[in-house]
Parts: sequence; structure tokens; C-alpha cells
Amino acid sequence: MDDAGTPLIRVRDLCRDYSVSRRREGVRGGVVDLLRPRRETLRAVDRVSFDVASGEMVGYIGANGAGKSTTIKMLTGILTPTSGTVDVGGLVPWRDRGHYTRHIGAVFGQRTQLWWDLAVVESFRLLQKIYEVPDADYRRQLGRLDELLGLGEFLHQPVRKLSLGQRMRCELAAALLHAPRLLFLDEPTIGLDVVAKESVRTFLRDIRESQGTTVLLTTHDLGDIQQLCRRVIIIDHGRVLYDGDLEGLRARVDDRVALHVELREPVPSAALAAATAGLPVQWREAAGLLHVADFSRRDVRGAEVIKRVVNAQAVLDLRLAEQSIEEIVRGIYRRGDAGELP
Amino acid sequence: MNGAGAPALPRWRRGGPATVALYLQFVRLAFLKMLAYRLRYYTGVVSYTVFVAGNYFLFSAIYASRPEGAEAARLGGLTLAQMIAYVILSWAGRSFTFNNIDRTLSWQVSKGEIAVQLIKPLHVQTMMLSEALGEAAFRFLLFTLPILVVVVPLFGLAPPPHPALYGWTLLSFLLALVVNAQINFLVGCLAFYLKNVSGVVRAKMIMMEFLTGVLVPFTFFPGWVQTVVAWLPFQAVSYVPVMIYLGQRPGASLAGALLLQAAWALGLSVLGRWFWNRSVRHVTLQGGVRWRPRRPQGPCCRAARAACGAGCTSRGARPRSSSPTSRSSSSRGWPTGWTSWST
Repeated sequence: MDDAGTPLIRVRDLCRDYSVSRRREGVRGGVVDLLRPRRETLRAVDRVSFDVASGEMVGYIGANGAGKSTTIKMLTGILTPTSGTVDVGGLVPWRDRGHYTRHIGAVFGQRTQLWWDLAVVESFRLLQKIYEVPDADYRRQLGRLDELLGLGEFLHQPVRKLSLGQRMRCELAAALLHAPRLLFLDEPTIGLDVVAKESVRTFLRDIRESQGTTVLLTTHDLGDIQQLCRRVIIIDHGRVLYDGDLEGLRARVDDRVALHVELREPVPSAALAAATAGLPVQWREAAGLLHVADFSRRDVRGAEVIKRVVNAQAVLDLRLAEQSIEEIVRGIYRRGDAGELP
Repeated sequence: MNGAGAPALPRWRRGGPATVALYLQFVRLAFLKMLAYRLRYYTGVVSYTVFVAGNYFLFSAIYASRPEGAEAARLGGLTLAQMIAYVILSWAGRSFTFNNIDRTLSWQVSKGEIAVQLIKPLHVQTMMLSEALGEAAFRFLLFTLPILVVVVPLFGLAPPPHPALYGWTLLSFLLALVVNAQINFLVGCLAFYLKNVSGVVRAKMIMMEFLTGVLVPFTFFPGWVQTVVAWLPFQAVSYVPVMIYLGQRPGASLAGALLLQAAWALGLSVLGRWFWNRSVRHVTLQGGVRWRPRRPQGPCCRAARAACGAGCTSRGARPRSSSPTSRSSSSRGWPTGWTSWST
């Protein structure tokens, strides 16, 4: 647990089953399916538990079909779980939807809550009415959002005339006009160029610091997570694989590095393997004079490998490549576990 | 459940005046949205004129072909002048009461856009009705009135037997609008249960042409059909207001006709409310709200997009907003019995 405060969100043993129809093959199977559909239960979310403290920004990631959206649906109150509990500030999202929706905001990267044909500000005024924001608060919040997002220039343009980046800035403002306690972001940077992405990230950092909004972020872009979230929850096949900070993830998993060695003269890989004999290192020849040693930092220190190689061969250059966070996460998705988890 | 010091989210309920202000805002925005597409409605004036002209010539020919005599002056209880008024008012009324709630709602449900509404403190049925009112205000000013301005001098509109009936007709058409909106809302809700609701929407639209009395007055139908339609809500959408104008509902039965409409408006709203709650419960239990827009794959999807019209094809992941885009191309309310669906 973070020490930012008492938990705002408390999720315990959350499960959600779907009943899906499984199609039989062929024409005959199709006919049989019509008469007697074969249904089976699929568990999309399986005993998920976590707490989120007030003011925390948490990345919720997982491969497609891992159960992210199902969890978010339950947390936003539009899906009832099969079992388990969710408590957000004393409210149960799906049961108290009327009260609960007042306190949340959401941005879905692929949808809009703005009126396409009307000026942005019209949608904002509507949101002010929907969430009953007093005029003074509305003006103050809009001013603040304008300052951070630079909305002024296109506030009076119809949404359909905006670029994707401009529209996303408006979506963020729309989700925050009523100063919600809890913000759900689903792929907020999808399709944005590098500059627009950066401005969205900067904004989210600012808003968390200045308003203490609790943010739950799902994304496929780990750059978002790396820059925004200290904490990440990885979900796969409906289960929580990892819950902790991003760097901790590196320490937890089998921390593989690759030592790229450029030699002065061509040497067979066997010669290099001989130099590191006794160490758990695998050699492969890349191109020409380039060789790569793969090993895990847990088993052997990089310095030891480098020392042996340099002593044995005439080395021109060395480079030690760590796995990127993305590669680590990809590895986790592939294996379906996060190494030695507690 | 939370321990001491936990950040509690206060319970909250919208007050009455705030509710009125909110839904008035929907009326206003719907009006403004339609205004953005006003150019498309100019051609609609021409189309409606053509429909009225077609019916005018058809009924003129039918009346002319009758043998001479006092009985022959009336057909289905209407004189030719009344029949022409019936045709004009039916079509003019249709241009006013028409809306696309069924298509919009079913589109939002099947594409998962409805999630955006469900996570807001909103009453979707009231929101849809408010938007229909805003749309109707636009339609009245910039569609129905221009149609009347063109059609009335061309074909001549006999005045009602009593001047007060102008007002009652207008009130009756307002009730007709509400009834139509509620019917459309109910049809739209079907999308929660059906994978592809567009067929139902289309069938409903064609059926409405007959069951509301727009195409032919009920008095032309055999007795048993008249009995059936009298028990259905559809007559409240067009037949009742037009008959009020023609003075066929004098005295007590005028009040009765208006009450009947009001009863249908109320009854259908209650039914819509029940069906909506049931549908939302169904979907939150079944998990059917689609979260991510489904990307087009395969020929069947392409066909669906083609059928949906130009507005649908512009983006892979369509925001809520392009629903109005696709909507506007077909929302003028072309009578489907006469033209192809895609006009």
C-alpha cells in the first residue's frame, strides 16, 4: 500500500463470469448450433483484489482479453460482478450508480462525450448542468484546465473540426470539469503523436498533483505508465499477476541482459563460450564481428562476464542492453506469470 | 465498509429545478445540432412536396372517377377538400413528429456508445425525449413551416370547421410527438436484446406509415382493421391530430381524443421506463455493454456499414457524435414506403 492516504477503492475477490456460446464446426454444426446452442462459462475476472489510495495514479495493464475492461466496467458500475465486492468511498458502483456516477469521470480514448457538431464549450456547459457544478466553480475549473491544456483557441470551434490531439485535450477537460474524485482513463493517448502524447501526460501529472484526483489508467502504451504511475497492476487471464512499482517488476522477474561484444578479429562463438565457461551465459553470433551474450543478472554479475571476455579476446566495443519494461511485460504476458511472486 | 477516516463519497440527488435546467439544455443542444445541418432539410421540403402532390393527384383521380351523386362526394366519410387537408396535414405533421430515437439509441447500444451515458448521472429516456423536443422545435420552424408555405398555396388547405381547432390540432400534434418519441425509444431498447436491430427499426418505420394513418385514412379500411388500429397507440401519432383538424372529433370526443393521446403518451413513458430499467439490468448482469468499438472485419460488417450510409464509414472508431452525422442523412424522415431506405 501507498502511504498517500486511506484507500478510496477497495476491491476484494472480484470475479466475473461470462456465458459464451461455442460454435460447432461446419454447416452441420451451424444447424445444430441454431437448435441447441452450446454455452459455456468463461471467467473473465478471477479473484481480483486491490486497494487504491486516494490521490494515487495506478496503471492497470494487461494483454487484450486479459480482463481489464471487465474490471473497469465493474468499477464504473455498468457491470455487476458474479461475486466479490467493490467499495468506493462507501458506495457500491453498480448498486449506487445514481450517486456514484456523480463522483467519477472517464475518458475513453476511442469514444467521445462531446457533441460532434457543436462548439466544445456547449458540451462543457451541458456537463456543468449534468454534474450541477456551481457557476463559480465551473469558471474556476475551466480556467485551470484551460491554463494546463490551452483550450482557449478552440473552445468555440465545433468538435468535428478539431484534430485528434485537440479533441483529446477537450475530452480530458470534459472528464474533469466537475472535479471528480476518481478518474478512469482508457487508452487516453491512443493515436496521438509524440508531442500530443507528452502534453496529455504532463497534464495528467499536473492534475494529480494539484487536485489529488485518483486515477486508474488502462493503456497499451507503457510509456504512459512509466511516466505517470508509480504503481502498476498487471492482469492476465483475469488474475492479478503483479501489483507494485514498475522498477520492482524488473527485480522480480528474471532480469535478463544482453552483452553485445564487438571484436577486432573474427572468432568463433565457441571461443567466447570457452572464455565464460562455468558461467550461465549463452552466446550467439549476431553479425560478423558482433557477438551477444545472454544471461540473467540474478545468476551472474555483468562485470564478471565483461572481465572474462576482455581478458580472453581483443574487444573493440561493449554494450550492455537491459530489457525494456515493455519486453519484461511482454515476457510476463507470454509466460502468464511474473516470476517469483509472493 | 470503510474504516474511520476513509474518504467517503457523499450520496447525491439532483433537485427539481436543476433537473429542468439540465434537460432544457438537451432541448437546446439538439436544436443547435439540427441547425448545423439545416442545409440538408432544404431538399426535404422538395421531397415532401412531391409526396403530397402524388397523394393529391391520386385522391383527386379517385374522387373524380366516382359516379355523380350526393353519396359520391364522400369517400371514407371525407369530401375531396377534407381529403386534401388530410394528406397535407398528415405529411406536414410527419415532418414535425418524426425523430430517429430508435436508430440513435439502437446504434448507441450496439456500438457500446451507451456506456458513455450510463456512467453519467443521467436519465437516458428523459434525455432522449428532450433531444426529440429540441429536434421538433427545429423541424417545426425550418422544415414543417416551409413545407406548408409551399404546399398550401399549391393544393389549397381547407380551414377547420372552427378556428379554435387550429390550437387543438397543434396541441394534439405535440402529444403525437411525445407518443412517437416513446414508441421509438421502446424500439431502440430492443438493441439490448437483439444483435442486429436495424431490420426491426426498418420494419417499424414502414408499418408506421400504415398504422399511424399517414398513407391512407383508417376510414378506408375494413371494419375489423379499424377496430384493431383503434386499440393501438399508432393512431395517436398522426390520425388523431389530423381528424381533430377536420372537425371529425367535435365536442366531448375532442377532449376524449386528446385524453387518449395523453394516456398513450403517459402509458408508453411508463412502459419505456420499465423496459429501459429492465434492459440496463439485463445488460449489467449479462455484461453486454460493449466497451471498445468493434473494428470492422469481414464482409458482413462492411455490408452493415454500407447500409448505414456515408456517415458511418468515415472513421474506424466512431465517436458518439458521428451518430448524428449518419443520422442526419436519414433523419429527415423520408417515408420509406415511397422511396428507398437510403435517401
